[in-house]
Amino acid sequence: MLSFTFRRLLIGSGMLLALSLLIFILLRLTPGDPIDAYIDPNVPMSPSDLAQLRIQLGLDQPLPFQYLAWLKEAVTGNLGYSIKRFDQPVLDLVLSRIGPTVLLMGSAIVIAVVAGIAIGVVSAVRRNSVLDISFSVFALAGISSPAFLSALIGLYIFSVRFNWMPSGGMLTPGAEFSIGDLLHHLILPASLLAIAQAALITRYMRASLLEVLNQDYVRTARAKGVYEFWVITKHALRNALLPVVTLIGSTIGLAIGGAIFIESVFNWPGMGLLLVDAVETRDYPVIMGATLVIGACVIVVNLLTDITYAVIDPRIKVG
Amino acid sequence: MNRLTRLSSALAVAAMMATTAVPAFTAPAKAATLSGGFDVGPGGFQGNFNPLAATSGFTWLSTYYEPLIAYDEKLQKVVGVLASSYQVSDDQRTYTFKLADAKWHDGQPFTAKDAKFTMELAKDAKSGSVLAARLKAVSSVEAPDDKTLVVKLDAPSASLLDTMTKVMMLPEHALSKIPADQLAKNTWWSTSPIGTGPFKFSKYVTDQYVELTANTDYRGGKPVLEKLINRYFADPAAAIAALRAGEIQFTYVDSNDVPTFKDNDAFKVIEGDSFVVNYLGFNHDSPIWKDLKIRQAVMHAIDRNAIIQSLYGGAAKQANCAYVADQLVPKDVDPYAYDPEKAKQLLEEAGWAEINGDKPITLLTYYTTPLAANVMAAVQAMLAQVGINVTPRAVDTPTYNSIVLNPTPDVSQFQMVFAGLQNGPDPGSINVGLNEKQIPPAGPNVVRARMPDLTAALDAALGETDLSKRTERYQEVCKVMNSKLPWGTLWVANRYGVVSSKVKDFIWTPAPGGGPYQAHPEKWSLAE
Amino acid sequence: MLARTPTRSPGPIARALDRFVTNRVAIFGVCLIVPILVLILSYPLWWSFRPNDIDLLAMNSGPTAKHWFGTDGVGRDVFARVLEGGRISLLVAIGSTAIAAVIGFLVGAISALAGRWVDATTMRFVDLVMTLPPVIFLLVLASIAGTGIWPTILVISLLSWPLLARMIRSRLLELRERDFVMAARGMGAGLPHLLFRHGLPNSIDILVVFATLQIANAILLEAGLSFLGLGIAPPAASWGNMLNAARSTAVLEQYPWQWLFPGGALVTAVLAINFIGDGLRDAFDPRAELH
Repeated sequence: MLSFTFRRLLIGSGMLLALSLLIFILLRLTPGDPIDAYIDPNVPMSPSDLAQLRIQLGLDQPLPFQYLAWLKEAVTGNLGYSIKRFDQPVLDLVLSRIGPTVLLMGSAIVIAVVAGIAIGVVSAVRRNSVLDISFSVFALAGISSPAFLSALIGLYIFSVRFNWMPSGGMLTPGAEFSIGDLLHHLILPASLLAIAQAALITRYMRASLLEVLNQDYVRTARAKGVYEFWVITKHALRNALLPVVTLIGSTIGLAIGGAIFIESVFNWPGMGLLLVDAVETRDYPVIMGATLVIGACVIVVNLLTDITYAVIDPRIKVG
Repeated sequence: MNRLTRLSSALAVAAMMATTAVPAFTAPAKAATLSGGFDVGPGGFQGNFNPLAATSGFTWLSTYYEPLIAYDEKLQKVVGVLASSYQVSDDQRTYTFKLADAKWHDGQPFTAKDAKFTMELAKDAKSGSVLAARLKAVSSVEAPDDKTLVVKLDAPSASLLDTMTKVMMLPEHALSKIPADQLAKNTWWSTSPIGTGPFKFSKYVTDQYVELTANTDYRGGKPVLEKLINRYFADPAAAIAALRAGEIQFTYVDSNDVPTFKDNDAFKVIEGDSFVVNYLGFNHDSPIWKDLKIRQAVMHAIDRNAIIQSLYGGAAKQANCAYVADQLVPKDVDPYAYDPEKAKQLLEEAGWAEINGDKPITLLTYYTTPLAANVMAAVQAMLAQVGINVTPRAVDTPTYNSIVLNPTPDVSQFQMVFAGLQNGPDPGSINVGLNEKQIPPAGPNVVRARMPDLTAALDAALGETDLSKRTERYQEVCKVMNSKLPWGTLWVANRYGVVSSKVKDFIWTPAPGGGPYQAHPEKWSLAE
Repeated sequence: MLARTPTRSPGPIARALDRFVTNRVAIFGVCLIVPILVLILSYPLWWSFRPNDIDLLAMNSGPTAKHWFGTDGVGRDVFARVLEGGRISLLVAIGSTAIAAVIGFLVGAISALAGRWVDATTMRFVDLVMTLPPVIFLLVLASIAGTGIWPTILVISLLSWPLLARMIRSRLLELRERDFVMAARGMGAGLPHLLFRHGLPNSIDILVVFATLQIANAILLEAGLSFLGLGIAPPAASWGNMLNAARSTAVLEQYPWQWLFPGGALVTAVLAINFIGDGLRDAFDPRAELH
């Protein structure tokens, strides 16, 4: 297990290096640079003054030099400074966004997993009942609507119209920090975010449990007179969970990138919003830094998923 | 970092909380706190704390920093702020500022040495100052005594006072130890800045909000409010949701969202001149616009009045040159009334069918608001009616700048732009966009206007040292623009802010770049 | 469960088709999507308004006998724009799916059939693309490509091929060791022969299911891109950029027809395609017969 983990981490670092080069190249292909983004066309500045600013930021250097200079600093843990916000180190900026994003996505995944598995099991057990069909329709509708639309409607109903929930942000500005305040801000975006994931998990859970329920050992257990409840929870569920765990694992990896739509509608200070802004303003160091941090998270989470897999299913040997 | 640990513990606790009861939610902030989206919209600059690097965002910055001079609240004349008075010598080359008695937030006195220090920083591009280029004319800055600052110029400059309003005074005792080239990256700006304004910096919660507290020693009197909060929003729509939910009391609002607030007693709509003239810029390097008749045809083809009435809700003034202010527009300008038949006739006379015909012309813009999309659709339809086939293309700001500021642009990508240019409060602002000497790379004359009459008129206006004759000179500029059409000038639109009617004595105006102007934040108050 | 047929046993594709036709949900999906397609394709023949005709005197008017779905902020007919938007959204979805399918199939199949070195390098590359945070990839790619139909097709297809490449590869890896492929190789068959005579028929089911579900995904992705101001830019119509109007609370509450109709059309189309995709998946999966 140890050597397996070590090898995977080694491959992972190589991957990160390649990733940083790839994103560096992609970024230089985007039209305009951070200085172009800095200038309001209504209050323009002359190209020669802009050139001065570019020299200041080292953007006039040949590209390979720029990359190597970045890499040299990055391996020592220094991801540089944001260009749009001169005084803010990229690492702090990215790390300060991971907390809120993990909180939002984590809550959404918890809601989605609990709801998804519960509904999936009920649907599988009561197959083709009215309940099952209405859940299926709801799940499909959840998968079929754009996330931002449900977010906008949810925001309008719960916040603007009835004022039950804050309209956005993570904490009430100026107020003392409190868990209640945080949860109050969290619940609406997290629930809206969970709908699509819950729908997906429901469908996987239902299909996978149906398949397992047809297996011989389940029949044996039933034949032995084990209560149906135990048949499902003890025998079937454990095996049916396998594909669902993989699914959840892959969602977690993606989740760290943030949910751009929910974050931008709810003004949630997470990674997605940071990235949208950084790409709009061509803030190269922020995008490079965020790519590295998220990439590393994805690699670690994938590794953890594989290990979890091995724990749930003893037949699988890693290595 | 402190926030991060708090967050992770919050995460852990949140997980535990899921099973237990949710405690009572905290009450919203107290009444003496005013929250707003002060950096929402075109005049704002969220996340920037450094006035030297500020291209906008002055509305907020001027609640805790102060310049020597600023515009009054109507943006009509320049008045003293940290300077109790100022004098300009007859040759327009020596500016003498008499400084007011003021204290920094840490209790130290504000002196002419601070002012000199700030001016030197602002002139030095190494400090990251975006004002350096505009202060090039300054040859020396002297502080003969603690209360006097003398600024000398190489040559008279009509725009020096305007530039000086953007120079926020910085404390020498706090910043002099930091080398100029390290200054921009210093964390001082967003952690412990001190100014002389009515509010003191309290804290910045990364990308969520900035909190200020009252500066009880403020020389203009103790502020009525205890706290001032500037919340960050990804876009105006999110700020409007917060305003309507009662979480903030003020924000900038896009004009198409104004009707929601117009008939609502809980809100007051503040309307003001944007000081940005919108135009259709002809790329004069493209052969298709050479003939003046074609440019006139474009003017006659667009029903500006209909667009203003329906899309802008009447809140814009037709522009027949870069200006709309009465004193700058001569009586006899051509109004270019909407007349599609005349437009067709002009195009025919010019031989448009041979010059371009119905080949698509890219109409480039950096305006991405819903309103702009509607305007572009209307312009496209109106031009199509007379036989000019334009295809709107909205791009983000960096893409736009990289195309139009490129010294050798690809003309096929860039034949026409829908853009805006600041035209006030200093009417000389338009010079950079139209003077032949400002063609890239020298300056941002993005339409590549090469019109000797216009350049001469602009130079004459900028070099005019006799203040009484300046208006006349700018009228001349207007006249040339109106007849030669370097742009198809469209209109100057109003911009809006919406404030809760609970807020009293609130002063705000949609100034370009957010000001600075005299907003007297110390007088703002909040009724129960 | 299936009635015994007197004729000789039909091929796998025919059997799959049989199963598909008996799937009520999938047929329901077909019944939803066909009328939508017919409306979208034929509307210029029978609808008097065109999607870009402005009418500043009839702005923001609600649904009437003249404008069935009302008009938008410049007085354009929403009904015409929903249908035109459908054309563009579906064009983007189908175009990007086709490109993604071609790239995904070629990369996956070549990787599986062309030998170990090729396999190792291409798969490392696929891994790399899949580790790249999709949000960043999406945003950066969209900034490079700009807005418009073709750039959007490009962005969506570049984002979605790697998954297919993996599925194709793992299917064809089994095939590589089978007798008939070994025989074909022994006889000196070139790569194109292997790809199209053996690779394609053996992965057709994956391709069909991927394509259907990907079309649904692509419609949603286009909507998301347009919401962020990337994707299809106005004045061109797409379901996504029409929905974007709902960002403004004024539109959301006062002119609901401007976003309800494109939203309804989008959800219906995606739902229908998902139904069909699920039906196809069940139809191609022999184990589905068990249920």
